[in-house]
Formats: sequence, structure tokens, C-alpha cells
Amino acid sequence: MRNLKHLLFTLIIGLLVLGLFCPGVYAKKNVVTIGFTGPLSGPAAQYGQDNVAGLEMAIQDINSAGGITVDGKKYTFKLKTYDDHIDPTAAVNNARRLRSRDGARVIFNPVFNTLAPLMQVNQQRGSEFLLMAYTSAPEVDEMKNPNTIGVPPPFSVYVGAYVKYAMDKGWKKCAMVVTLGAYGDGWRKEFKEAWIKAGGEITADQPANYYTETDFSAQLSAALATKPEFMLIGGPSATTALVIEQARNLGFKGGFVMVDQAKINYIAEVGFSGDLNKVNNVMGVCRPLDTAPKELMAPFVERYKRDYGRVATSENTLNYSAMKMIAAAMEAAGSVEDIQAIKAGFSKILPMDPKVNLMPYFGIQDSRLIIAGSVQKVENGQYTQPMATVWWTKTKADFEKAVSKMTDIGAVNVHVPLEGYAR
Amino acid sequence: MFTKPIHTKLFFLALLIAALFLPLYVPDAYMFQIVITSVLFAIATLGMNLILGYTGQASLAHGAFFGIGAYVVAIMTKAGVSFWIALPVSGVVAAVIGFVIGLLAFRTKGHFFAIVTLCFGVILFQVAENWIELTGGQNGIFGLDRPTPIPLPFLGTLEFYSQPAQYYMVLVVLLLTLFALHRIIYSIFGLSFMAIRNNEELADAVGVNTFVTKMISFAMANFIAGIAGGIYATIMGAVSPSAISIMITFNFLIFLILGGMATLPGAVVGAFVIPIIMEVLQFMEDYRMLFFGALLVVVIIWFPMGFVGGLKAINQKIIAWRQSKTSEDSNA
Amino acid sequence: MELFLQQLFNGVMFGSTYAIVALGLTLVMGILNIPNFAHGHLYMLGGYITYFFINNLGIGYWGSLLLSLVVLGFAGVLLERIVFRPLNGQPHINAFIAAIGALIFLESLALVVWGPQGMRIPNPHPQIFQVLGITMEAQRLLVIVGAAVLIILLHLFLKKTTTGTTIEAVAQNREGAMLTGINVNRVSSMTFFISSATAAVAASFLSPIFILSPAMGAVLGMKAFIIVILGGLGSVPGAIIGGYFLGLIEALGGGYISAEYKDVFAFGALILVLAVKPTGLFGKQEG
Repeated sequence: MRNLKHLLFTLIIGLLVLGLFCPGVYAKKNVVTIGFTGPLSGPAAQYGQDNVAGLEMAIQDINSAGGITVDGKKYTFKLKTYDDHIDPTAAVNNARRLRSRDGARVIFNPVFNTLAPLMQVNQQRGSEFLLMAYTSAPEVDEMKNPNTIGVPPPFSVYVGAYVKYAMDKGWKKCAMVVTLGAYGDGWRKEFKEAWIKAGGEITADQPANYYTETDFSAQLSAALATKPEFMLIGGPSATTALVIEQARNLGFKGGFVMVDQAKINYIAEVGFSGDLNKVNNVMGVCRPLDTAPKELMAPFVERYKRDYGRVATSENTLNYSAMKMIAAAMEAAGSVEDIQAIKAGFSKILPMDPKVNLMPYFGIQDSRLIIAGSVQKVENGQYTQPMATVWWTKTKADFEKAVSKMTDIGAVNVHVPLEGYAR
Repeated sequence: MFTKPIHTKLFFLALLIAALFLPLYVPDAYMFQIVITSVLFAIATLGMNLILGYTGQASLAHGAFFGIGAYVVAIMTKAGVSFWIALPVSGVVAAVIGFVIGLLAFRTKGHFFAIVTLCFGVILFQVAENWIELTGGQNGIFGLDRPTPIPLPFLGTLEFYSQPAQYYMVLVVLLLTLFALHRIIYSIFGLSFMAIRNNEELADAVGVNTFVTKMISFAMANFIAGIAGGIYATIMGAVSPSAISIMITFNFLIFLILGGMATLPGAVVGAFVIPIIMEVLQFMEDYRMLFFGALLVVVIIWFPMGFVGGLKAINQKIIAWRQSKTSEDSNA
Repeated sequence: MELFLQQLFNGVMFGSTYAIVALGLTLVMGILNIPNFAHGHLYMLGGYITYFFINNLGIGYWGSLLLSLVVLGFAGVLLERIVFRPLNGQPHINAFIAAIGALIFLESLALVVWGPQGMRIPNPHPQIFQVLGITMEAQRLLVIVGAAVLIILLHLFLKKTTTGTTIEAVAQNREGAMLTGINVNRVSSMTFFISSATAAVAASFLSPIFILSPAMGAVLGMKAFIIVILGGLGSVPGAIIGGYFLGLIEALGGGYISAEYKDVFAFGALILVLAVKPTGLFGKQEG
């Protein structure tokens, strides 16, 4: 026993010393390391792992097609992921490690709370990196960080789409049971403002912690007592399914609109075992199958199910696309290290052929990639035709010009200019 | 201190010199980052050591006071106040809120005190999450400016964007904290702290005002936690509810217990060793936390006195072994 | 009025769960005098084990519940033997750290084995009743009734059987019990078995209406802890009353005052109780 104790002690000390002084193995020549730090454990683990999956698939595809050619040299990609369980300290450590030890110049992170401190270090001389921010929080754009690119559209895009949709329906009374959190707070605030401005009424605002709670009857009972015509709900998909189920069980017959984190197809398949009739009158962000040309997306969705055993969501598709765009941007920039050139490369390559990058990304504006925000709902057990919101153009003429250049995904295009973004 | 053997003194001196010149030989920004945060966490852990290690009161709100400090600096610097004013204020605010909480919490003892402080910690966390006007809600407060540069004679100005500057800032505070704690612990105050830890009734019987003494220890611990939190805010450049969460308390607790409770080096060693273990274990990916959980259990069972305690025990064994050997030699 | 009754119903259902989970914890804390912070994670594991029996082995709901009860009971015994018994006689804070290690381990284990995605057990009782204008799901009624039955059974066990009285004797006075010649180690194992088994029952009751996820035990574990302290360490009636009390406070406070600060009511209530009575509602005079 005592010997074992000493052995263990020596082992731990040895491990530490090793960790301290091992200078780190730099990536092999002609291999470009892409970094990821995000929640791979804890309540948001699935979210983080879905992000990683999209990147992995893209890198697989790029590498099996022979990689990229920059400056006459062939490069392949490698993904390095570290878990930060949404702890800012861990996220910064991971980013430092990815940059100094793994040589990554491009680092993905999917949570605003960790993005904020990362934006404090990604400009430090000698250890700059391009931060790929997978967040729809508009605050990222407010920080005007030159070394950051926002991947999904700002969520305000969907706010506009929902307000338009609900007003067209003739609805007036809305109750909100949205997730607590940075992101949920933002949604509640923006939706409330937009909805009241459009002449609607918020009858109840009963946020709930979708990450830690599983019963929402207290909030739902209170919300339903105000007799709303529809409800704004949403957070992680699995819990959102519970909210729908519990609200229906409490007798709610009205409509649901969901914040963009909740995925309608995931809710139908995982929450209700594929029974679409259980999600009638629910509106949310478009399922992946309807966000890109079907002949390209159908095999992707299949493959995701096969390789990861989960339902594909926009976390996979958008990150997949982002990774493909990085590869193309590096080629266009003629560099795998100069991050400003790589960022500038994005405007050269967009819009791309969806055969390459899958998702119909349209361009880049400041630090945010541009893609239409598509929403759809389920009616009579069927997914309806998606509604794609064009938010980045100010004038009708620009809107039509943009639509003529956009990849056709079979959606109805609507023009909802977004304040602060539309030019 | 004077009774300590000369080689111990030399060891600490060498360590100090090594710490002072660290920026010259630290291999990369990653290692540097870990060192900076470890020094920072060591400060807060030392605060916890005062209330838990020396006074025997398991305050599980320690992370909350760290968070309060972080929010105070974030809010004040956002409002345009200089960091150098905001930092001491952060410690004072943490101590004052701690005073109010202590009035209630010290009515309880043992497990009950631990849980009451845990509850206060959770409440403060919820306030940080929900009082959006003050704390920015879950988004927190971000985009903080670095401390105002200090003009140094002959050397230009000291800017806090760089890692070396941040490092020296935390190092100076750590050394000050160590110095202050060393003075406190070997003072009459320190003795009454330890008297309460060892036997509260007895301390009371011999005339120690246990309530006041515990309050003083609590206030000092929270002041230190608040200062550490304030520096954390400026180093991260952003504060969100994660800075005030129960996980922060658990981390400090793990640093302290595994480092070695009721010793000054223990808290510092723990704050270095545990984060480094976590980093080294990154290669295990999905199995990392599984292994870490098991490791925690094994270490606490086998090294109940922490690393510093374990080292001391091994050291004593070596001395004993040497002595037995020399006596054997002389016998031969 | 309808809303009030609905909230009351929710509160009682939650209170039922809290009560049985806290009951298991108060026995363990009373007997070993160690804070088993991993209790909520045992509950989580119980949910997954039930899921495993239903989903992978195709066993019916009630059969799975029973199997899960036994398996988790032994998991609890194992936890006591491996993690807590070696720490006997050391500072309590060390056991607390060990419990944190154990909960990290259990949560990661679930993550590695079952993955991060939420999982559901098909609801065996999907019927819905409307009584007095309030909606009652059959499974929720089952939680309330099942918890009451379990509490009565446990009460009978503790009061009427020799084994039970031994356990309660140790919970109330460890040293005294040792003096009368009770084998404390054996009692410890047994208590851990009962404690974990009740957690498994709670998890099996709730998982058809909720979602299983590796992190689901953390919040419940913390609340159980609070209830135990609120009711008085080692007190069985304290845990039961504390459980229902907390469920009602949350439902009514969350529904009427502020949903954001729902959890604050629970923690605030505890602080208030302890401020008035520092050893909890039913606590012994010395803490």
C-alpha cells in the first residue's frame, strides 16, 4: 500500500513536469490545424458536439478530395478540439494552447460567454487568431473585433420573420416561456420590443431554465392563464419538446414560435418519435433538409445520422459550410496563416456553388457572414414551404437583386430589413 | 520563520527569483496564461484557506465573493472609473456583503454553516443572472478596458495588454497576500482563529469572542476573494455569471484541500497543480472528466493532507530512513 | 382559482419527488455524517438504468423500475465502500471533496456511455384527467401516489423492523448506537442501499415525463441537500415535510411572484429557517 502511494505520487509529479516542459508538438508540415473550444461536457455538451461534428465532416470531405492548394503547395486539415464547459478561463487557456502549441490560426467557439473573453485575446500581437463565432448574439457584432467572423445570422432576423408571420395570422396575444440565459434574455427583449411595436401584446413573460429544469408546468400554467393566442418558447431542442408536450397537456391549442436554438426536426424526431402531428402549429427555424438544395442536403442528413447517430441540425450544416468556406478563403488569400487575408478571402469567394459549401451563404458584411434566415412550420403533419428572410438589404431594389443572385432552395423570399445591419 | 532550516529559506528564495524572471523563460503564451490564472486563483484560495483552513468554517460562498469582486470591477470600469480605484473597492464590497451574510450565517455551525453559505452563493449567482440592468444578465459585462497604464520612470509606461504586465500584477498581489497572511496567522488573531478551529467551545471558555473572531476571519477572506475576482475581471476582459457560480467555489475548495489545508504553500501549490493536471489530461478527451473524478477520490483517500502534506510525510520518512541508516552505519 | 389549484398540483408532485430523494439523503447524512453531494447523480444514474432496461432489454416499465432499484442500490453500496468508508474519521470537508469527485465521475460516465443528447422513456401512462378545471397527467398522479406509498413503506420499515430501528438509531446517535454493539459498517452499507434505491424509484417515476441527461442530477442533488438541512440532519419527518414545503414554495413562488427567481425562494426559505432555528426544523439541539 505504501509503495503504491509513493508510486502514485511520483507518477502525478512526473506527469506534471512532463506537461510543463513538453514544448508541444507542432502540426506537421502541410497540415493546417483548425481549433475548436466549446462545451463538450456538461449541460450543453450536445450543442458543442454537434458543432464539432459539422467541422469534422467538412474536414473529412476536404481531405479526401486532396486538400487545398496554396501558393503551389498542397495542404490538408486537422481538427483539434478542447473542452471548456463554457468556463471563460478554460476557453482562454484552450485558445492559447491551440494557437501556441497546435499552431491553429482559426479557432471555432460556439457560446457568447466564452466568445467575449476570447475576443480580448485574439488580437494580441504574436498570437492572433481568427475567431469563428458560432453565435446568433448580435453583441458579437457590436464589439467590432476585426479578427472575428460570425457564422449564423443574428437572431434578430428570426424575430422579424416571426412578427411578420404572427401579424399575418391575425394574432395579438403572445405569452413567452423562453430559456433563461444570455441568449434567451436577448430573444425576450427583442421579441417583446418588436411585437409591441407591431401592435401586439405580451400577456406573460415566464422564462425558465431549459438547461437545468425539466418541468415547466409552473411557468406554463401561469402563462396559459393569460389566454395567449400563441407562445414564444425555446431553448435546447430536447427540453423545448417537453415544453410543447406539457403545454398541450395543459390544454393549450394555440400556436408556438420557437427561438432559433430549438430545432423543429429534432423536436419532432427525438421528442415525439417522428410523429409530426404532435408538432402541428409549431413554427421554428427551418429543418436542414429545406435550407439547401435537396439533392445536396438529403445525403448530408443521411450521413450525419449514420456517422453520429443523431439528427442533423443547423449546428452541423452551418459549421460544415463555414469550414468549407475557410478552405476556399485560404486558397483565395494565398495563405494559410495570414488571418486578415483569409478573412478578406471570404468576400472573394462568396456566394459559392452550394455543391461545395452546401449552405447558401451569400456574402460577408463586417464580421458577420450573410445567409438568409429561413423559418417554417408544421401544419397537418407536414413541413410547410420555408420562408427565407432577406435582412441585409435596405431597399426593395437591392432585395430583388440579392434574390436573383441567391441559390434557390424553394423558399418564399421575404424582405425584412434588419436595423443596424441592412445597407 | 527564524526557526526554519536554512535550506528551506534558500528554497523559497530560489522560488521567488524564479517567479520574478518567469517571463524570460516561459515557453509560450499558453503556459504563461496558465501561470497567470494559477497565481490569480492562488490568491483567492489563500483567502479560503483563512476561513476554512485556519478558522475551520467551511464557507461555500467563497466563489460568490470572488464573483462580487469581478462584477464590481466590471461595473465600475464600464462606468469610467479607473481600475486602480475599482480594485480596492471590489475587496471592500465583497467584505461588506460578507459581513451582512455572516451576521446570519454564523448563527449556524458545521454542516449547517456550509449549506447556508452555499445557499447564499446560489442566491448571489441567481441575482447576477437575473438583475440585467446591473449585471448584464447572462451575457454579463464584456469588452472591459484594461487597467490604466502606469507611467514608470525611465522605462516608459506599463501597459496591461501584455501577458508579462498581467503576470507581475497578479504576482505582486499574491506576494502581498502571502505576506499579510503570514503576519496574521502568527499574530494573536491567527491563534484565536486556530483556537476556534480546534475547539470552539474551549476557545469560547478561555475568553475568545468566537462570533467576532469568525466575522473578522470571514471579512478578511472575502476581501481577498473580492480582490482576486476584481483582477480576474480585468484579465478576462469580460464577466459573466460563470464567475460567480458554485463551480468557482468547488474549484477553490479542490485547490485548497488537494494542495494542503492550513498551510500557506498548500493553497498556492493546489492552485497550480490542479489546473495543470486538467490541462495535461486534455489528451483523454471524452474520458478526461471521468479520470479526473476518479483521481480526485483516490488522491483525497490517499493524501488526506493534500500535496504539501504528502510531501511533508515523504520528507519525514526519508529523514527517518536516513537516520536509521546512519545509525546502522555507525553501529557497523 | 384554477391556476392556483394547478400550481398546487404541480407543487405537490414536485414535493413528492423532493421528499423521497431527500429521505434517502437524510438517512445517509445522518448515519455517516458525511455530505453525499453525489446523491443527485445517483438519481440521474437510476434514470439511465431504467432507460437501459426498457429500451435495450425491452423489459416493461414496472419490471424495469424494480431492476433499476436493485442495481442502483448496489451501486450505492459500492460507492460507500470505495469512496466514503476509507474517509471515515477524516475531516468532513474531505468527504465533501470525494463526493464532488464521485459526481464528476458519474456524470462523465453517463456522458461517455449514453452520449450528451437528451433521451426519453416512453410514457407508460399517457392518459390525462380534467378535475375541477385542472389538468392531471396520469404519470404525475402516479408520482404523487407512488411517493406517498414509498414514504409509508419506508416509515413502516424504519419503525417496525429490527433492521429499520437499527438504522434510525445510528442516524440519531452514532456513538450511542456503537456502544450498544451495532455493527455500524453493515448499517452504513444497508443505508446506502436504501438511499440509492429510493433515488432510483424517484428517477423511474419522473423519467417518462422528463428528459434524461447526464447533468440532470446536479440541481436535484443540491435541492435534496437543502431539504435535508432544512428539515434537520438525519430527521425523516423533516425530510418529508421539507420536500413538500420546497415543492410548494417553488410552484407558487415561481408561478405568482417571479419565474426568474424561482430557485431563490427555495434557498431563501432555507436561510430564513436556519436563521430562526440553526439546526433545522426537526434538528437536534447540537448541530
